[in-house]
Amino acid sequence: MHFAQSFDVIVVGGGHAGTEAALAAARMGAATLLLTHSIETLGAMSCNPAIGGIGKGHLVREIDALGGAMARAADMAGIQFRTLNASKGPAVRATRAQADRVLYRQAIRRLLENQAGLSLFQQEAADLVIEGGRVRGVVTLTGIVFQAASVVLTVGTFLAGRIHVGLDNYAAGRAGDPPSLRLAQKLREIAPRCGRLKTGTPPRIDGRSIDYSALAIQHSDTPLPVFSFLGRASEHPRQLPCHITHTNERTHAIIRAALDRSPMFSGAIEGVGPRYCPSVEDKVHRFADKSSHQVFIEPEGLDTHEVYPNGISTSLPFDVQQELVRSIRGFEHAHLTRPGYAIEYDFFDPRDLKASLETKSVAGLFFAGQINGTTGYEEAAAQGVLAGINATLARRGAPPWLPARSEAYIGVLVDDLVTRGTAEPYRMFTSRAEHRLLLREDNADARLTPRGRELGLVGDDRWTLFEAKRAAIAGELARLQARRFKPGQIPEDWAQRVLRGPAPGREVSAFELLRRPEVHYQALIELDGALAIQPQADDRLAPQVVRDLEVQASYTGYIERAAEEIERSRRQEHTPLPDDLDYGSLTGLSNEVRQQLAAVRPATLGQAARVPGVTPAAVSILLVHLRRHRERGPDAGTVGTVGTRGAADPARTAR
Amino acid sequence: MSDTIVAAATPPGRGGIAIVRVSGAAVREIGERLLGQLPQPRIATTAQFRDRDGNAIDHGLALYFPAPQSYTGEHVLELHGHGGPVLVEALIRRLLELGARRAHPGEFTQRAYLNAKLDLAQAEAVADLIDAASDAAARAALRSLEGEFSSRVLSLSQTLGELRAQVEAAIDFADEQIDVLSDTALGARLEAATTQLAALSAASRQGRLLTEGMTVVIAGRPNAGKSSLLNRLAGHDAAIVTATPGTTRDLLRERIVLDGMPLHVLDTAGLRSAGDEIEAEGIRRARAAMAAADRILFVIDAADDPHAAAFVEEQALLPTGVPVTLVFNKIDLAGNDAAALESGDVGADLPSVRLSALTGAGLDTLASHMKGCMGFEAGATDVLSARARHLDALTRVDQHLAQAAQQLAARNAPELVAEELRRAQLALGEIVGTESSDELLGRIFSRFCIGK
Repeated sequence: MHFAQSFDVIVVGGGHAGTEAALAAARMGAATLLLTHSIETLGAMSCNPAIGGIGKGHLVREIDALGGAMARAADMAGIQFRTLNASKGPAVRATRAQADRVLYRQAIRRLLENQAGLSLFQQEAADLVIEGGRVRGVVTLTGIVFQAASVVLTVGTFLAGRIHVGLDNYAAGRAGDPPSLRLAQKLREIAPRCGRLKTGTPPRIDGRSIDYSALAIQHSDTPLPVFSFLGRASEHPRQLPCHITHTNERTHAIIRAALDRSPMFSGAIEGVGPRYCPSVEDKVHRFADKSSHQVFIEPEGLDTHEVYPNGISTSLPFDVQQELVRSIRGFEHAHLTRPGYAIEYDFFDPRDLKASLETKSVAGLFFAGQINGTTGYEEAAAQGVLAGINATLARRGAPPWLPARSEAYIGVLVDDLVTRGTAEPYRMFTSRAEHRLLLREDNADARLTPRGRELGLVGDDRWTLFEAKRAAIAGELARLQARRFKPGQIPEDWAQRVLRGPAPGREVSAFELLRRPEVHYQALIELDGALAIQPQADDRLAPQVVRDLEVQASYTGYIERAAEEIERSRRQEHTPLPDDLDYGSLTGLSNEVRQQLAAVRPATLGQAARVPGVTPAAVSILLVHLRRHRERGPDAGTVGTVGTRGAADPARTAR
Repeated sequence: MSDTIVAAATPPGRGGIAIVRVSGAAVREIGERLLGQLPQPRIATTAQFRDRDGNAIDHGLALYFPAPQSYTGEHVLELHGHGGPVLVEALIRRLLELGARRAHPGEFTQRAYLNAKLDLAQAEAVADLIDAASDAAARAALRSLEGEFSSRVLSLSQTLGELRAQVEAAIDFADEQIDVLSDTALGARLEAATTQLAALSAASRQGRLLTEGMTVVIAGRPNAGKSSLLNRLAGHDAAIVTATPGTTRDLLRERIVLDGMPLHVLDTAGLRSAGDEIEAEGIRRARAAMAAADRILFVIDAADDPHAAAFVEEQALLPTGVPVTLVFNKIDLAGNDAAALESGDVGADLPSVRLSALTGAGLDTLASHMKGCMGFEAGATDVLSARARHLDALTRVDQHLAQAAQQLAARNAPELVAEELRRAQLALGEIVGTESSDELLGRIFSRFCIGK
């Protein structure tokens, strides 16, 4: 039967990608349906109970800057908050929260249920309606047909999932969800290039069986960090500590003795696991000289005793799991509540996607999250936001929004995926971003909120606070630059205490003083009055303004240099490559370069330059062919720029 | 319009005339600063090509073609100067200083094509040309990269990769107890990389001498015969003097090609002075010139000073690290074997040449000695060939490593250490190819046990 209402956007899947996609589409005003096999598990954290971390926290802030849910939910569910890299520079500082699974799920569900224009429906998606190369809707298991112009698929690891515990294995989606063969079949037709990945979890432990007295303890930071631009520490629930223990030689001996019963070492698992999140048996095998590995004991929530021993993910047989866990200090009498396991699953080669996350083969169909080869809630959610936005823009016939690598980690993430593909579950690291100094947690709002506002994602409360912050920063920056100290005007005792040396012998501005690593804003206030923020201003404002000014001061020079670099590459980034360019026929390119370009089919010259193996000379040759193509080709209309950075790409808008 | 590129348009070598072409948005400004004023469009105008201080590098014809009526369709400046790799390179370096960058192979033609200055039928030809040109450049680079230079650059690249892996691991895996930043070993490794780079630069600098010439400073006491030696060198049968004397009072500058070997010769004032202000300035310049030189010829009056007492006295005033050759002049007066240092004497371990600037005796010995120093003759083992582009890259690597060391010492911003190291490796990548972020992560994961 056909469902009476037709939608603008249907999102399939209620994980982190799906919920953000549905929320983003609905915020933009699209009539949106979130189709999930279980409303109860919306926003579930299926792996470790934590949000954020280095690179990941950056993504969370960006999602938040676009009005997304993840940071808000983490603020309401976080039971331990830390700022990682606090002793390092601002670009690499990152927020991380342990989250109460139940509170997190509740927060997400509350946001979903209160979002205008968003409908939820529980039923498994079984098929897609595709006509003439365009998606038209989704068919559920019981035959209900939902119609929509855009569909976002966020179906996670459900494709050909296989769980391994020891040498036993069985077909399954994550946490026992049944796989859907019909949809899987359809997707394989749409996106024939597949790869197989693997990930794993540790066994869970009943915290009452752990002897914490012998273990190192790790509390939340003070003051308590906050995730959302709109958040306050007062929203956080009661805080719990994490604990740290270590594996030892005995643990390693137990593991070594059981490697013949490991599905990874016996060859039963073919999927590629992440190098940065190896199973404990992998660690012991590959780093044989290390006599100990860290285990973080992460609380699963306020109302449960279950804990997540992060660091001993394993697919060894259950009896070995029990033995190895009990060899660890504090775990001598541990009761395991769930066995650890490895899961293998298929993913689609993300090089078959456009940078908008729309599939190249079916118009209006978007993929987001783990099916694109990523891992992590944050990476999934970031793609979800982008896919939700672009699904809505596609419905309107508007060009997609394609955040640049220099603009957002979301841009780095998607560009890496669609340009390089991935050979292992893709996780964000700050070292992936060449413009790391620009892409900070502290300026995610400045980078993205104005664009989010234009797109209709950002509500009035956020926008008002954002504008107040922007004005306060501009005002105070101008004041600091104008306030000048002549020699003799800086008291020697201040200089000795703060600068640990004599006062500068030449005239300096307050901003120049702030550039010195030993000078913090607080010290400046002592020297010269107070912050130019109204006392009645929002309490969230002042700390953010101060932080922003300190960062601007400390990265002076680097920021300018990066801006010049971005400007230099602008022309390449904005030169589109036609969809129908026949790379095989281009003379002057090596076979390897032709094959690589044909495999990726980059959308712009800038993207082409990042395809593995493409040299600067190859880019020059592409430029030449591009002009020839424009002058000769039937679709001279492809000349222009890409996405909302400039004129529309007709291939995307002609619908 | 795009950035401004420069390249020699005539083939390298010692031709009578060399043409250097500049194209891009900044051509007008660059032309004004190089020539004093921009010539009338499309009218060949004689002009002096001036360095930063206003001194002439060369003089010749300048031609200005405003966009779009030019070969590339952009503003183009053509400079026709005297042939010879030394002058051409000096002129190009001046243009780089004024904001141009070295053109990639085929880039002028590519711009001409993109600005519709070439017809459509030439498209394939242009693509092939870029390919061939970059191929030729690659082959040339490969040739210059063969052997020791190549392995040294790769080894430096490896060192940088390892350093980056360490710093990046400490940044991206803060929970993993990889505290390399407080580790003094990191500073030591950074220093080792800098040393490695310095050795590489020195070696490739020697190779560069082959094409770009050697700067020789003639030093010594007044009346030791420095000026007559210079004149004798300039008047040597095989020498071609390609520039007029410089303008400073105490620094006489000559560009000489001796048997095809380019030389810049500077005759300096004596190092000690009675102390008037003008002489003091002359001495300051002499010292600066010596510090930048590839070799110092220290001239001694063999008749007056057979045991090189002048050198013993002034040795401490010479810059360290610049090789010295002792030139015993006036053997016509002193007798051919008058000046022979005995082992143990200061300077006895230095190469020495005995000659007479007056009669020309011994000049051939000096010429072959200098050719030997430059690696013009077989047997110079450490001479490595590198192209100017590579040297530019090495200079930038050096700057970034120095910045990285400074940031490391400040200890509060490892991400800035990482940034400088990234840029250093990027600059080196212009020689050996770049490393992707995924390869960097691979280094991290193979080195550190990451993952909780």
